[in-house]
Amino acid sequence: MEQVLKLRNLKVVFPTDYGLIRAVEGVDLDIFHRECVALVGESGCGKSVTSQAVMRLLESPPALIRVDALEFDGRDLTQCTEQEMQEIRGRDMAMIFQDAMTSLNPVMTVGRQIDEMYRRHNGDSKKEAREKTVKALELIGIPEPRERANSFPHQLSGGMRQRVLLAMAFACMPKLIIADEPTTALDVTIQAQVLKTLRGMQRGCGTSLLLVTHDLSVVASIADRVYVMYAGRIVEKAPVKDLFTSPHHPYTVGLMAAVPRLADEKKQFTQIPGTVPSPVNKPSGCYFHPRCQYATERCRQEMPRLKPTGKDREVRCFHPLSAGGEQQ
Amino acid sequence: MTEIMTLQNVSVHFPVRGALPFLRKGEIQAVSDVSLSIHRGEIFGIVGESGCGKTTLASAMVGMIKPTAGQVLFEGVDLNRLPRDEFKKMRRRMQMIFQDPFSSLNPRFNVYQIVSEPMLIRGEDDEETMKARVVELLELVGLSSQDLYRYPSDFSGGQRQRLGIARAISLNPSFLVCDEPVSALDVSIHAQILNLLLELQEKLNLTYVFISHNLADVKKMCDRLAVMYLGKVMEAGNSDKIFANPMHPYTQALIAAILDIDFSEEREIIVLPGDTPSPINPPPGCRFWQRCPKAMRGCREVPPEYVEVEPDHFVACHLVNGFPDQELPEGYDQPMVPREKVPGR
Repeated sequence: MEQVLKLRNLKVVFPTDYGLIRAVEGVDLDIFHRECVALVGESGCGKSVTSQAVMRLLESPPALIRVDALEFDGRDLTQCTEQEMQEIRGRDMAMIFQDAMTSLNPVMTVGRQIDEMYRRHNGDSKKEAREKTVKALELIGIPEPRERANSFPHQLSGGMRQRVLLAMAFACMPKLIIADEPTTALDVTIQAQVLKTLRGMQRGCGTSLLLVTHDLSVVASIADRVYVMYAGRIVEKAPVKDLFTSPHHPYTVGLMAAVPRLADEKKQFTQIPGTVPSPVNKPSGCYFHPRCQYATERCRQEMPRLKPTGKDREVRCFHPLSAGGEQQ
Repeated sequence: MTEIMTLQNVSVHFPVRGALPFLRKGEIQAVSDVSLSIHRGEIFGIVGESGCGKTTLASAMVGMIKPTAGQVLFEGVDLNRLPRDEFKKMRRRMQMIFQDPFSSLNPRFNVYQIVSEPMLIRGEDDEETMKARVVELLELVGLSSQDLYRYPSDFSGGQRQRLGIARAISLNPSFLVCDEPVSALDVSIHAQILNLLLELQEKLNLTYVFISHNLADVKKMCDRLAVMYLGKVMEAGNSDKIFANPMHPYTQALIAAILDIDFSEEREIIVLPGDTPSPINPPPGCRFWQRCPKAMRGCREVPPEYVEVEPDHFVACHLVNGFPDQELPEGYDQPMVPREKVPGR
């Protein structure tokens, strides 16, 4: 399989007055052709920073970035100049943000904003660009695309705005799309629509997708492979079905138990005790040990390595759990 | 079981004004003609998408918004007919927990000031009593007396929400409105707060109105619930009955739209077309017809009646209740297939 993205040992640090914030500590990421990879974690775990570092969108300073390898489609992105990056962004690699209202320009019609993609990257004329825009809007499921292209963002509903962002991201048929919480701001019924469209477009265009989210149910419905992040590190990596049928890391188990399901009858909610550690003051040893019920002395002292546990699976834990939730 | 809160045909409309203040462009019918009863000691869920009027309805319940029509009865007393000081006394027994723990706490107040403010307003002036009470409350919600002089910025989202809860229960209310209490929190904290709410309900004999857009949370928390769409109640009643047998197409779609992390069974996902229409001057018929997969021609003109189909299970849908015997447009029971073009929003 062709590899679209290869990221090795990414480290991002933000110096602040209160100390160093180690946002990302050695993340490896592989994305292959036509694959949908999810990066899951709670707020502050470094998932958005990772995705922005991949696009080289982090400003440095303040961010201090170190990376062993960042290869996109065979190119070494670390060697690219800002000008080359601007060519790559949008054409080969696009991003969909969480809040469509703030990522669209409020004083430009959505049509013009999508036209820009074609005019900038393909060098199309105004007319050609508009034709393509209308086609893209139609493809993404917006009724009356020609009229809608002349609307301003505030005239559209939340779901429509998110679709406009999808149309923009898919405009140049990029190799990789990074979607940062694409459906978090949407209602459930609209979320279902947008996810369906996103998945359909991704398959149809043969794009790879990096889905950054905190919502495990979204992951379950569209991802192929999953990386679970906690406090700046990958704690578990697995194909989606394996992850949900037999999670290995206690944090993954806790996260999954915390998602209420319709099938449950009990009145109690399963909870993970404690809170996510502060990024300035992370605990010793395994970052999850203060919240982990299986923690031993070794976990308090030593940070476990990411160890393979099966085909395409890795887990960062001294005491990984087996299928039945039992300790191995 | 006695009723603690009764809503009788409550409507809340907001005028939409044009460029000149006296030109009325129309009305936002945030809540229209809602009748519900909430029993003492239960958790009553209100579910719906954004803009369906959940929060407006809850505000009307605690008297923060005056309904345009209808009555809000708290323990049998009409809130909006009470003289001001009587209302204030009544209001102490109903409190609210807000969605966003970041904007609902004053950043310049310390914990003690935040939690004791309601007591201060009631007229309590003894520092010692208040302090003792605040410490007691903090411990009840899982914080400690050491936090007394810290500021909201020192706390995480979950802890702030605990502060909001402590403040809400400081005057021993009997009726608590929780407006999306966990939607701003992380998944792993989510369950902690919901468990705390359940625990407090048992300890303090509270009645909750639990507003949420997450049906799975509602199913686990609530005894009874109401599903709202565009200002109207679509289905309401006993939670078990509704989840076992959802009758309204919107409820069915909402339940089907919940994404599950269960790989063991395949579920059918109903994807509703279109968006929630604007609540400004909504259509005369059923408010859901434009998106309803089972809409009939008559749904567009004739508003459905709100009928009790089985004990404690109300539905407003023509499919379930049939059409009333009045003048009906021709072919009213024909399904709308192929779907007629929806008029522009």
